[in-house]
Amino acid sequence: MEKWKATPTPRPPTSIKREGELRSRAREGFLPFYTNAFDRVFISLVILIGIHLLWLRFMEPALPIEAATVISLVIGYYVVRRG
Amino acid sequence: MRDSRTGWLLLSPTLIILLVFGFAPFLYVLFVGFNQWNIFSADDGLVFNGLDNFRRLVFDDDFLHSVGLTMRFAIFAIGSQIVLGFVLAQMLTRNFPGKSLFRVIHTLPLMVAPIAVGAIWRLLVIPGFGPAPFFLDRWFDLTYQIGTYPDQALWTSVIMDVWHWTPFVTLTMLAGLTAIPKEPVEQAKVDGANRFQVFWYVTLPFLRPVLLTTVFIRIMDAIRTVDEVWMLAGGGPGTRFTGIYIWRVVFPRTDYGYGSSISIITLYLTIVLCWLLFIAISGRRKGEVE
Repeated sequence: MEKWKATPTPRPPTSIKREGELRSRAREGFLPFYTNAFDRVFISLVILIGIHLLWLRFMEPALPIEAATVISLVIGYYVVRRG
Repeated sequence: MRDSRTGWLLLSPTLIILLVFGFAPFLYVLFVGFNQWNIFSADDGLVFNGLDNFRRLVFDDDFLHSVGLTMRFAIFAIGSQIVLGFVLAQMLTRNFPGKSLFRVIHTLPLMVAPIAVGAIWRLLVIPGFGPAPFFLDRWFDLTYQIGTYPDQALWTSVIMDVWHWTPFVTLTMLAGLTAIPKEPVEQAKVDGANRFQVFWYVTLPFLRPVLLTTVFIRIMDAIRTVDEVWMLAGGGPGTRFTGIYIWRVVFPRTDYGYGSSISIITLYLTIVLCWLLFIAISGRRKGEVE
């Protein structure tokens, strides 16, 4: 008996126009998943808060918190533009 | 244009309620989080202190310890609930004698208020009174005192949460399982798939949305657990979860500013955790368009 192999579940038929719309909204950037504009702003915000908290804990004696803000904004801009 | 206006008009009561009772308090907590506000301090009003609350928070060992404990609690409780819930839901899809009675008894804990659940479990585990310490000591020679041993308190909280919330997971899983069409399952069986393959390649992908929703709800509940654990152990060692820590800071210490900042960071952790899980489980990866 031939060994069973899983095949991908068939997707419901999507029109080319609809698929095009979905692809234009869900962009493929350097992030490992599709994102829309809201996703990328959200990710930037999460990174911003995370960097600030880690900065307060580990880096503040050496460098002021404004440096964390600048780094977060640069990363945020990069994520929004290229993510 | 008219349709859109009618839609907004119909939505407006809900949106107004959401804004007034959901969004406005959140903004207020965010504002208070950047202020010092303790009614027993020399200046009992709101005093803007920038990031000082957050600076204090990242060095607060009690808070960091409470986050670690909450994560342990959430991982073990939710993991157990998902596995148990799935097994029980699978069982309930088949016919067996006394199924209706089992389903009623199994769903009963879900109807009990968390504070009552905590009270019931406290009566079960209280040393010198509850049956659990008595029988554990008699049968296994095991000293069981949740007030003394933090690990015992944590595991008791986990078991209590599993007892309380597994029926909810079972019901959602059961709904998901009954919604799976029979054709793909039968097709896989005819093609020679074994039971594990049917589960892994057919059942699990169909269950994914239900699983995701259930895990989200349970994570949010587990992270904000206060009442039942408070009732069980009174915030003793091993059960000082984030929710209980916030309560201690805000009410007995009346440190509203610091309590608000902890609340915001707890919300941040919850959102990040749920988002990471969403990406991991929903499969919104490259090569797929959802």
